[in-house]
Amino acid sequence: MPFEIPDINLLMPGLVIVLTLFIVLIFDMIDAISKKTLGWMTIVGAGIALWASIDLLQAGTDQTQFKDMFRIDSYSLFFNIIFLVSTILVALISISYLGRDDKKQGPYYLLILLATLGMMLMAAGNELIIVFLGLELMSLSLYVLAGYFRESPASSEAGMKYLLLGAFASAFFLYGIALIYGAAGTTSIPGIAEKLTTESQSPLLLAGTFLLIVGFGFKVAIVPFHQWAPDVYEGAPTTIAAFISAGPKAAGFAAFIRIFIEALPDIQTEWGGVVVLLAMLTMTVGNVIAIAQTNIKRMLAYSSIAHAGYVLIGLAAANPEGKLSAMLYLLVYCVMNIGAFGAVILARTADGENLMISDYAGLGFRKPLLGGFLTLMLLSLAGFPPTAGFVGKFYLFKSAIGAELYLLVIVGAINTAISAFYYLRVVVTMYMREPEEELEFNPYPSTLVIGLVLAAVGILLIGILPSLLLNPAQNAVL
Amino acid sequence: MLLSIVIFLPLLGVIAIALLRNMGASAIKGIALVISLLTFLISIGLYTGFDTGIDGFQTDSQLYQKLPWISGLGISYHIGIDGISLWLVLLTTFLTPICILSAWNSVEKGLSGFMMSLLALETGMLGVFCALDLFLFFVFWEAMLIPMYFLIGIWGGERRIYATIKFVLYTMAGSALMLVGILALYFQNGNSFDLTTLLAAQETFTHANYLFLAFFIAFAIKVPLFPFHTWLPDAHVEAPTVGSVILAGVLLKMGTYGIVRFCLPLFPDSAALYTPWIVPLAVIGIIYGALVAMVQPDLKKLVAYSSVSHLGFVVLGLFSQSDAGIQGSVLQMINHGLSTGALFLLVGMIYERRHSRMIVDFGGLAKKMPIFATIFLVVTLSSIGLPGLNGFVGEFMILLGSFVGGAFSKWYVVFATTGVILAAVYMLWMFQRVMFGTPDSTNESLPDLKPREIVVLLPILLFIVWIGVFPKTFLKPMESSVNAVAAKVKVNAEENTPAVGQVIIDGKTQKPVILKSETADLQLIEEEAQTK
Repeated sequence: MPFEIPDINLLMPGLVIVLTLFIVLIFDMIDAISKKTLGWMTIVGAGIALWASIDLLQAGTDQTQFKDMFRIDSYSLFFNIIFLVSTILVALISISYLGRDDKKQGPYYLLILLATLGMMLMAAGNELIIVFLGLELMSLSLYVLAGYFRESPASSEAGMKYLLLGAFASAFFLYGIALIYGAAGTTSIPGIAEKLTTESQSPLLLAGTFLLIVGFGFKVAIVPFHQWAPDVYEGAPTTIAAFISAGPKAAGFAAFIRIFIEALPDIQTEWGGVVVLLAMLTMTVGNVIAIAQTNIKRMLAYSSIAHAGYVLIGLAAANPEGKLSAMLYLLVYCVMNIGAFGAVILARTADGENLMISDYAGLGFRKPLLGGFLTLMLLSLAGFPPTAGFVGKFYLFKSAIGAELYLLVIVGAINTAISAFYYLRVVVTMYMREPEEELEFNPYPSTLVIGLVLAAVGILLIGILPSLLLNPAQNAVL
Repeated sequence: MLLSIVIFLPLLGVIAIALLRNMGASAIKGIALVISLLTFLISIGLYTGFDTGIDGFQTDSQLYQKLPWISGLGISYHIGIDGISLWLVLLTTFLTPICILSAWNSVEKGLSGFMMSLLALETGMLGVFCALDLFLFFVFWEAMLIPMYFLIGIWGGERRIYATIKFVLYTMAGSALMLVGILALYFQNGNSFDLTTLLAAQETFTHANYLFLAFFIAFAIKVPLFPFHTWLPDAHVEAPTVGSVILAGVLLKMGTYGIVRFCLPLFPDSAALYTPWIVPLAVIGIIYGALVAMVQPDLKKLVAYSSVSHLGFVVLGLFSQSDAGIQGSVLQMINHGLSTGALFLLVGMIYERRHSRMIVDFGGLAKKMPIFATIFLVVTLSSIGLPGLNGFVGEFMILLGSFVGGAFSKWYVVFATTGVILAAVYMLWMFQRVMFGTPDSTNESLPDLKPREIVVLLPILLFIVWIGVFPKTFLKPMESSVNAVAAKVKVNAEENTPAVGQVIIDGKTQKPVILKSETADLQLIEEEAQTK
């Protein structure tokens, strides 16, 4: 068997992240260097990887590496963009967030980079085992990050809960892979698809497919596998809650969509209905429970569950447009969700974070910048034009109507109206209620503001001129 | 190009105010007023450049624009006006400076935000009336909610939060369905959201009835048609004066405009199919609105319910399948915008003085505030529909059109007509209680209108009289556009009753015969055919 020499060019985004990882690791040992530099290194590394990904995407790359185990195509490269944009934004909002205890920052950025690498593996996996490896690499990093504030019981609880439920999910996922292997005799995604066209379906395959749905359902927080999400989001450091809600969710969907659309299209009649049902359930439950929340982090947790439901619409459509619309929505969602969490961090006072929605009373007029950011992000999450959230949702609905899933779209559209209620409630509190007590807010940290400005500009720009994103994405993916 | 300038000039004002908001109150007010006046002046160019001979959308490059926007989804920036939207655009640009001037001294907090919301709202409303691409229409339709939400929620009355959330949720629930309808149309129209191609492809639509309902419910909520009207009194009562004026003057018209722009021409068969269901609702709205208005103790609520009644007339006319009825409806949209807008302004002015809107608190104002009382009387009479003022022309045309042309029982029109009488009852009774009698000690000292307030009201009075005396100025430009819509609806309504001279298949003998007259006995014609 000849040894295949991997093409460094194709692997560049991942290699850059690995390199950054080592640099962060080494510089963390040098005490003379301010730990904030580590954050900037992460940003620069992710930025270079982002640039490399865009470059490869524009070149129209579609190749496999490592004996067909890796697939570097427009799909995985586009997801790389989502992950890296999320990582950069999260790093930006983290630098000031972690400012207080300087010592532990090394492992923090290290784990973020490791998780990012895991996500990239998941998106590029052309082989179920690689997907699993990526999933575990990402998840293990996240378990630690969720429990990162060791002194805080809530954070420790979040880490523990996430670990236990995540381990279950991984087990389901692995079992699913095993059953599919039993049915198809291979774990390669194209191999499975090929096998399915020639052979009749076995119950083994169906069982494996549904176990995969359960496994992914846990990872991306789909109802009824969502219970961990609110607790973890609430307890984890806010930056990590932002991170978990963005990149890893996108990575879960990357593998989910790739496996189901590319490996299992022949049994779409079997899983299609389930996905439609899960999408409706996820949107509705997420949005309805979010209405009852008084803690903004929990509210955003339920909202992110609902958004997973919206993304499922794209998978349910199961056409190329559905795939692309899910990808675009995930990108938009990551930016606006990190933006919303960033705005929550911006509202910190000297004695900690303000997480109750009632704490935001009167904030809109006293802190116009913060009020403006949060309002924009919430309006975008609610899907009001002219924001990117509207365009993303519109495209999702459009692809589903193209697949004649009328009922699903009606449920989705009604859910949009429901979600407007709780997003607007925060805006109501900020602009229309008088504060009960005067809170002393911390001055705005510059890195956080940079992150938020980037997110806000992106949201508005894509909302007003969607072609900027849509045309290149369509050219690359469709 | 001119049209785009009209639409986006207010948005420029928003940006200007955002940048200069630290310059002080008078600068902010000045910018807002100048921008809105400028928008109005430029929008007059739309009227002067309007070609009344064209029955569709204007083709002059000043009044029509089509640029690629989101090419990947078949969406273009496509705007244009016809005789129907022309007047609504002008109404919007006309009312906005009036609103700004009327709010000159009444905004206490967040003046810059108030003016920005108002100007952003103007852009949103103008966009709705001019968009010829369904996506663009939807964007404006939804985006307009945000400034209105802030206007009611921040500067409104005591229960403002409840009212504003209710307003937004009602509209969003309706537009959610409309979004599904828009998307479904996209795939039936060769992957395009373009209204002009949709109109051409109208006969090929499948599931037209569902699509009609998806659009109609969204618009019916906005109008609001009974039984979707419950958000309206709340929103009106809690909104600041300016909010009420815009809401009654323009926002409600977006619903009726949507019906005449989309529901009727796109789905004429379905419109005919559902007419027997919609017309009773409209008539119930007319009478119910009037009856509820009669017993309101609160002036603002009274005017709000009168809107439900008046808009029932508009919907009735729209579904009358006659030129006169639809034309009357379009004119009545303008009339209602003017007279109800003026009523809300007047109520706002008296509220600023007396800090009460309860009818029982007033009495004898005519003696103390003669100018106010005179203007109030004219506006009241216009709202009732006194001949010689604007309300009469619109309501008369609607009633005439639906009586003669309507494909529904004439009794509906008879009942609707009682709405005119009821309007006289509640409006005049209210006027009597507020204006006549002897003023009590608090009302004794109320000052009459200031010059600024007279300036605010006079232009509206001018148009109230103008439309009443010489409606042709307004009817002429809209005529061909309205007739085009009416023709679409009528062709489909008459499909089952063949015209005179047409060859029809006799049901009994299955032989072709010529129809001599509409009432001719088929038997006779058949015999004639046999003798030949």
